[in-house]
Amino acid sequence: MGEHAEFMGKDVYFWNFIVLMFFTLFEVGAVFFEGIPKATVWGILIVVGLIKGFGIAAFFMHLKDEHKWFNITFMFPWIFVALMLWGIGLSNPEGVTGLPSWCTPDWSYATER
Amino acid sequence: MSGHGNHVANSTWMRAVMMAGMILTVGIVGFAVLGVFVAENKHHTWEDEHHHYEDAKEEWSAGAADLSDHSDPLYIAKEEAHNAEVAAHLSYLTYRVAGVTMLFLAGAYATFIGLGGFLNASKPKADDHHDDHHDEHEHHGSASPIIFAFGIMVFLWGLPDFIVACKALLDDTVTAELGMLGISVSGMLIMVVAVSNWWFEDLPFIGHGEQIATSYPFEGDHIRKVGLWIFIMSEIMVFATFFSSYLRMRTEWCTKWALDDGGFAGCRTTSDLELTASDYLRPGGGKVDGLGESVGDFWTLLPGGINTFALIISSYTIVLALKTAKNANWEAPKGFMGKLMPTRKAAVRNYLIATLILGSLFIVLKLVEWSHLVAEGFTIGTVQGSIFYIATGAHGLHVFIGLVIMLYLVFKADTIGFDEDNAQGIEYFGLYWHFVDLAWVVIFPAFYLY
Repeated sequence: MGEHAEFMGKDVYFWNFIVLMFFTLFEVGAVFFEGIPKATVWGILIVVGLIKGFGIAAFFMHLKDEHKWFNITFMFPWIFVALMLWGIGLSNPEGVTGLPSWCTPDWSYATER
Repeated sequence: MSGHGNHVANSTWMRAVMMAGMILTVGIVGFAVLGVFVAENKHHTWEDEHHHYEDAKEEWSAGAADLSDHSDPLYIAKEEAHNAEVAAHLSYLTYRVAGVTMLFLAGAYATFIGLGGFLNASKPKADDHHDDHHDEHEHHGSASPIIFAFGIMVFLWGLPDFIVACKALLDDTVTAELGMLGISVSGMLIMVVAVSNWWFEDLPFIGHGEQIATSYPFEGDHIRKVGLWIFIMSEIMVFATFFSSYLRMRTEWCTKWALDDGGFAGCRTTSDLELTASDYLRPGGGKVDGLGESVGDFWTLLPGGINTFALIISSYTIVLALKTAKNANWEAPKGFMGKLMPTRKAAVRNYLIATLILGSLFIVLKLVEWSHLVAEGFTIGTVQGSIFYIATGAHGLHVFIGLVIMLYLVFKADTIGFDEDNAQGIEYFGLYWHFVDLAWVVIFPAFYLY
């Protein structure tokens, strides 16, 4: 466990907790300020979600100090998550034309006669 | 698990029954104060506001020159009265649902810890039949998870009838026989017995005889830990299914968010709007009142926001419980905290109690928020409502299951105690609890903010 590493007299768990609280305030704040463009808010929500997810998994769940097989066990299902998200891109109405060509199939067989 | 149950006095288990009594008392007091006393006052306010609204509506229909003119002062007065009535209704719901949920949680906690304690206190002492050649460090499997799974199966078998019977208890127009509760209640009893037996086996565990994996790739690791990580792996898949199906549908819905972002074919005006939960909850959402103002504001987002902080803080308190349990050189803090936590045992127990309270707060606020959404018209009958309630409900169920386990950890911390030898009970439960926090980190922005 990494609780022995200290910064300003506090352990890594405390600072992880502070970071999680700060970023939660940040994401709620991003939604409150209605002037921010939606694409920017969307980006903020994803980046903040990734940072918070990393903080919880790496430090609170101790994955940072575990051997690689625990990390692989944790990461394995995310392959399917990524596949499902990719599937959303393929099947939503904007996906055919709105996503880059490398992640969309050639739909011409279905749209052209 | 290596517990035998023969090192714990039956009187220790009777403390669980006392604990159940204390919890039930807190629940009844909470219900009486919030769900009855305050809620009754709020109900009167709601009735008053309803009469004001009825008067304003009459004045408007009798006095307005053009009923379609939304700038008419009488129309504005009517809508303001309506908003005040809605606010009073939601305020009433807040206290009523909070009180009822406290009573429900206390009842559930008391059932598990009280019945479990009573059953275990009633068991004959295992020492009477103890085999002297039996190695106390020898580990053996437990049948409790299998009995528990059987209980769940029986419960689900009777669930459709159980739901109808429960509806009949609340609604005079639904008819049902009391016997329809039978199968599910039997299932619940089997679950309680299985859980109490599970606790009976675990309580004496003081760190000896943990089963160790003997083959690659987890050679040398605790089998319980490996099993838990594989369980978490399957849980990620469950939540990924909810999340991906939500996003798949969400990208196709004509939401306020999509409109603000420029819209798409078939999504150009507010008449095309499809309302999601976030349209009711976040500031500037698509759900508007009669004056054209968004109903979402600071207060509608507050329960979800508090819940997010509650889960993060609870993740930290359980880490503190683990850290304290593992620290053989622990010293009591000075000042007020020192009075709260005079010993290591008390500190671990109190950190766990804090986690339990924060998790319970999450459930209370979650149901308060649901009641507001349903009152505003966002029900499970729509596709948007269905995915919201199923995803957040599945998460809430995970929180509730975690709280029942935490209840036992509090009991163990208060009786046997946790130290550097047996702290893995907190550590492995903590992994589950952090996962529940992790799932919320995804659900909150996706369902509440987006």
